[in-house]
Amino acid sequence: MSNQAGRVAGVCFLSVLVAALAQFNDPGSQWSALVLLGGCVAIGDLLMLRPSGRWPLPLSFVFVMVLVRAANTAEFAIVIASAFALLLVLRPADPLVGRFALTFSRLIGAACALAAYQLVLQAPADTAGIGVVMAALTLAGMVEIGIDDATWMIRKRRLSWAVDGRLADLALIASGVLMSVAYQGVGNANGMGLWAPLLFSIPLLAAWYAYERLDAIKRVHEQTIVALSVLPELAGLTIEGHAERVADLSVALGRELGVDRQDLDYLWNAALLHHIGYLCLDVSEGTDSLSSSEATEKGAEILRQAGHLAPVADLLAADGGGIGGQILRVASTYDELAWGENSGAQAALDALYSGPGFVYDTRVIDALERVVIHNSVPALS
Amino acid sequence: MNQRNSQTKLTTLCIGLAIVATSVAIALGVRGPLPALLPLLVFALLHAFAENQIALLPGELGSSAGVMLCMGAMVVFRGTDSYLGPMLVGVAGGLYLPHLLHGEWRKLLFNSSMFGLASLAGTFVFWAVVGDGEVAPRDLLVASLPAALAYSLVSVVLVSMAVALSTDRLFLSVLSVCGRELLAFYPFALLGVFLGQLYLEYGLVLVPLFVVPILVARQAFSAYVALKDQYESTVRILIGALEAKDPYTAGHAERVATFANYIGIELGIPAGRLERLRLAALMHDVGKLVVPNHLLNKPGKLTAEEFALVRKHEDVSVEILTKIDFLAPVAPSASSEAARLTPVADDRGQPIEPYIVAVADAFDAMTSTRAYRKALSQAVAFRELQQNAGKQFHPRVVDALISALTRRGEIYGQGHEQEIHHEDAPEGTTGSAGLGDLVMESARSELVR
Repeated sequence: MSNQAGRVAGVCFLSVLVAALAQFNDPGSQWSALVLLGGCVAIGDLLMLRPSGRWPLPLSFVFVMVLVRAANTAEFAIVIASAFALLLVLRPADPLVGRFALTFSRLIGAACALAAYQLVLQAPADTAGIGVVMAALTLAGMVEIGIDDATWMIRKRRLSWAVDGRLADLALIASGVLMSVAYQGVGNANGMGLWAPLLFSIPLLAAWYAYERLDAIKRVHEQTIVALSVLPELAGLTIEGHAERVADLSVALGRELGVDRQDLDYLWNAALLHHIGYLCLDVSEGTDSLSSSEATEKGAEILRQAGHLAPVADLLAADGGGIGGQILRVASTYDELAWGENSGAQAALDALYSGPGFVYDTRVIDALERVVIHNSVPALS
Repeated sequence: MNQRNSQTKLTTLCIGLAIVATSVAIALGVRGPLPALLPLLVFALLHAFAENQIALLPGELGSSAGVMLCMGAMVVFRGTDSYLGPMLVGVAGGLYLPHLLHGEWRKLLFNSSMFGLASLAGTFVFWAVVGDGEVAPRDLLVASLPAALAYSLVSVVLVSMAVALSTDRLFLSVLSVCGRELLAFYPFALLGVFLGQLYLEYGLVLVPLFVVPILVARQAFSAYVALKDQYESTVRILIGALEAKDPYTAGHAERVATFANYIGIELGIPAGRLERLRLAALMHDVGKLVVPNHLLNKPGKLTAEEFALVRKHEDVSVEILTKIDFLAPVAPSASSEAARLTPVADDRGQPIEPYIVAVADAFDAMTSTRAYRKALSQAVAFRELQQNAGKQFHPRVVDALISALTRRGEIYGQGHEQEIHHEDAPEGTTGSAGLGDLVMESARSELVR
């Protein structure tokens, strides 16, 4: 984080320096303003909006939207190229190929945004009304985001048109249009110049900060639950790595059986915490830990105290009802069978199949067979 | 008696303020030009909307959106010289839906008048500084600072009066707290000035572009606040599980977190680290979950074997905290070993959190009743901490705890226990300080042998 702050400060310093030189060299030109906008592009690319369910969205797109209107094609090319060249140096942590690929996609995105804008508006279109200008800018922003989306899909080799987190796109495009219009002015209205990017990035920065905090707390929450899931293991109540494997397997089974995203999330939490109840009871008397419904009930009771974990508690308590509870029981039993002594994937599957149908749902066992045999989720010896 | 008295004063304040605001508004309406209807509606609606969203998040963003719209109105109505416009826009901010629904007319009156008068004060200053005629962006910039200052001065003074009356605190002390935020929202005030300018130049079309990013930021903030609450309750269930296992420790984690927080504030630890300290203190005993119940509640001496098992919990706690990146730097907080001050150790470069949790833990253990002894009095606990300061406990941390509790006038320990009393618990000696202290107990018994 402090590294990040250092880079942002560095870009600020560099662009102010270059802008001052440009101003000194030729006071009449708009180069100093363009250089500062280029600096904004570089800084904006270091700050990503990270709403959940969406790929990170760089703030640089907003400033590119200002530039498509403020600069002519040659100026645009020079400013954008140098901003992204600077970014090649500023991301030392990423592998070189990744950095070049990212820069390449950004350059294509910016070029297409410019082309889209100029398609609607012939270059210095001062006679156009504000409606047309706004339409052209919106189109430019959408093109840029679309190309970024396409890049991500190619990188992840996955088609995805998730609507989650698209509010961030809306905020980005709205800010870009506003900034661009206010920077240059439309028709007879005077532009605000550099005040526009400075001021109208405040809400975006607030959004960025909020998303960062959201991301951080989400990570802390996940890590806490993973850390807690290890407790039964440390107490010697389950085999090593049980909870995490069951969580992975449950989510894989849930996907296979078409469980939706929210329920997958509950399933993952429930799987990680499904032995938590054992910690509160004394099981040292040699009771069979698997059939101890008392401990399961205790666990559900504990989880239910936190309102947001109530659906997770239901999964734990589910007595055969609900596909989630079934998945959890099958995954947990399979894991204990497959990773226990002298056992293996096939033996565990056979054991599950030979159990009576009212104990384990055959749909789930079929899914398990598909997941384990074909995708080989847990690597078994 | 006192309560009713301050309530009456509060009512008087609300009514008085409303009368002042109404008469000013009427005077302005009669003497000056009436504001244009469309911008009035737009800005008033936006202001009411912004203030109604406020409850979602306690951050600064809520009030910022309000000041932004009032500043916008100051610019927009300048052309027609109508002071009534910005004032009415301000008044709209007081129309908070829950207050309307529950018939809390006092709050409605107060908020509407407060926002109206604040907005009016800002307008006076703003127009006086800008002067007549054409304005350049630079003039707007220059005028926005004193105008925002006037706006927030009026609102802070009025709010402080109301808070002082309703909470029976001194007006000046409330003012000094509220006053700190006087210019915290200046960037948004500046934003509002330019919103007004853009509205004058382009009309309504740009207003949605302005509102959308702010709404998105707000939505992200409220998602963050909600998730933070969820995290809090996840940690609470953990503590619930701990307490279900060991009823003697009911409330222990909470109290250790409270003491740790007091100490942290006393030592001037920044807010972000305070949060981390609080969580680490809450979770410092998490490893106890792996200790079998019958050992935790065993009233007599533990065998060496049992003792080793009980001791294991600290390692487990450290391991758990280490798995959480945010808490990893303070993970030693869960270990009495690491938090024990060795005479040569100095705290330079080493996080102080473990020492804080150690002192908070020891203090709570001494002042609560346990399976093996009854609670000690606060004075005895303080003395014990002071005697071991520099040897076992960090001296600065011990001093911080003592001065924090003394200043707050809070008393714990014998005669002040918050938990269930365990009458059958044996009277203890001063050395007993919870599980961590069992080390000393066992060492002592071994020496005797």
